Amino acid sequence: MGLKRLFLKMATVGLGIGLMTSAALAANLRVLAWDGYADADWVKDFTAATGIGVDVVFIGSDDEIWAKIKGSEGQDFDVFAVNTAQLQRYIKADLVSPIDVTKLPNQKEVLPRFRDLSTVSGVTKDGKVYGIPFCFDSIGLIYDTDKVKPAPTSMSVLWDPAYRGKILAYDNGEHNFSFTALTLGYKDPFNLSAEQMAAVKAKLVELKRNVLSFYTTADEAQQIYQNNDVALIWANYGQQQVKALQKIGAHVAYVNPSEGALAWLDNWVISKGVRDNAAAEKWIDFMLSKKVSGGLSERTGFGNTVVESSSAGSNDKLVWLNNVEDPLRRSDMWNEVKATP
Amino acid sequence: MSKAGSTQPSERHLSLLVTVLAFALPVVFVLVPLAIFLVYSFFSVDQGTIIHAPTLGNYVRFFTDPIFLPVFWNTIVLCVSVAVICILLAYPAAYFLTTLKGRWRYALLMLLLVPLLMSYVIKIYAIRSILGLNGFLNKALVALGILEQPSTLFVFNMNAILLTLSLLLIPFAILPIFLSLERIPQTLLRASDDLGASGLQTFLRIILPLSLPGVASAASFVFVLAIGDFLTPQMVGGISGFTFGRILYSQFGTAYNWPFGAALSVALAIVVICAILIGERFGRNRGTSI
Repeated sequence: MGLKRLFLKMATVGLGIGLMTSAALAANLRVLAWDGYADADWVKDFTAATGIGVDVVFIGSDDEIWAKIKGSEGQDFDVFAVNTAQLQRYIKADLVSPIDVTKLPNQKEVLPRFRDLSTVSGVTKDGKVYGIPFCFDSIGLIYDTDKVKPAPTSMSVLWDPAYRGKILAYDNGEHNFSFTALTLGYKDPFNLSAEQMAAVKAKLVELKRNVLSFYTTADEAQQIYQNNDVALIWANYGQQQVKALQKIGAHVAYVNPSEGALAWLDNWVISKGVRDNAAAEKWIDFMLSKKVSGGLSERTGFGNTVVESSSAGSNDKLVWLNNVEDPLRRSDMWNEVKATP
Repeated sequence: MSKAGSTQPSERHLSLLVTVLAFALPVVFVLVPLAIFLVYSFFSVDQGTIIHAPTLGNYVRFFTDPIFLPVFWNTIVLCVSVAVICILLAYPAAYFLTTLKGRWRYALLMLLLVPLLMSYVIKIYAIRSILGLNGFLNKALVALGILEQPSTLFVFNMNAILLTLSLLLIPFAILPIFLSLERIPQTLLRASDDLGASGLQTFLRIILPLSLPGVASAASFVFVLAIGDFLTPQMVGGISGFTFGRILYSQFGTAYNWPFGAALSVALAIVVICAILIGERFGRNRGTSI
């Protein structure tokens, strides 16, 4: 008897809690972000400062963001994070809303290179701003300070016969064509003509002959570094990779090449299905505060758009990743490079 | 009588169900996926989407493009070499096992098969560390005075793939050879001895011919497993160890060209089926005569 009453009570309480949370959910800001972009303490501070509750969902890949946003036509989230190379397809599919930059006071305080958003490729369309940059990392060069002297300034060091068999490169056709195009001095490394492609391919065959191996994960590169004589690493994982190597006692340093370093740049964007635009703007502005942005760099090693960080100095030239002209063609040509004896 | 009559139909149902399941499982999980693969190999890709209109383009490209056939051929040669190395190493080991008595024989066999229980990736990582420039192999060779300086001969090239695959696949060669050796009746060996044959004669005329079926199936096992592997070449192959498996993997992993990948898989499947048929043919010819 008592048991039955207990169950009844539990069910009522459970129903009550369920109703309360769903009511709370209805008013909360719905954020979709990468791990490290919306830590619990920042979310708490944001709610304390603005009175707006936040529900964060973390994602693990670009494809997952697309599936979640496209799957609900933008109705399931108010704000989400996406990189510049991806953003254009969201704009094209009409899944994001333009952002009124005047509503973001902190955007005026960001680092010079992010102040005029029309100069940041990929975040605007037809004069409207769709993405607010807030986190980035370059794909630079890691070098062993004992073995590489003087310190390199350009990716062209990867072709230096002095380091033959001591170089780790990354196993990805798309990026390799882009950075080699930059090294060759081409203006738009993401849109290469057939002629330029052929030149880059020939240059990559030369690179291959200078390389020890191609790696795919940061962990793998580190293991190869430990067991072999490696002087230079093309650092797909940027600062994270440097930090991990330094942690195991490697004498390594990081440089962004003078011809321009490829770099990814993540932006906050407001979805088409946003329920409370003002709340979304407040969230983005909060993320651009010195405290959160500086903290982000401290915690993840990535660069932020507000406080100078080790990811890139203000004089370093960064080339934001963009969609390439034909990914399939690049992948095929990369196989040809690898198959060339 | 009435009891027996009532159980018979349900028994018949049960046997029918078992028969259907026995046929359905391989059909659903093996034949249908293979058929889907075959169908996909006749599609094409445009701008990242698969076009479901039949074309021979993928096969034409496989035979005309200058990169695929040479890599394909090199990979076959590599995997035949792996099979030969594995047989040469596994045969003495299996033979030694059969000379052991009783419990020792199976205890040792189990020990030789223990590596199969370990993760494949971890084994490759470990072998790569051993083969590296600062790895165990180089350190040992330098310490023994065989090499003056650590050598890069063992890692990030074809040698490395050959060594690693052989090491990983030896257990698959030991088992069938051991089984075929064990099946040779002791009476034949005694008869040979009684008729005055020497140990070597007995081995060459009786043991070796009778164990060849095991050798054939071991060789086809190893070859098939080696040729389907893309992880080992990817991780220890470096810049010169480019194999067919790596091309195949890139079609699915990075290129998103599934139809072409499917066509390449069909080419690979044909070679694999041939290897299995050859292994089976040799396996049957002599093994059943005893």
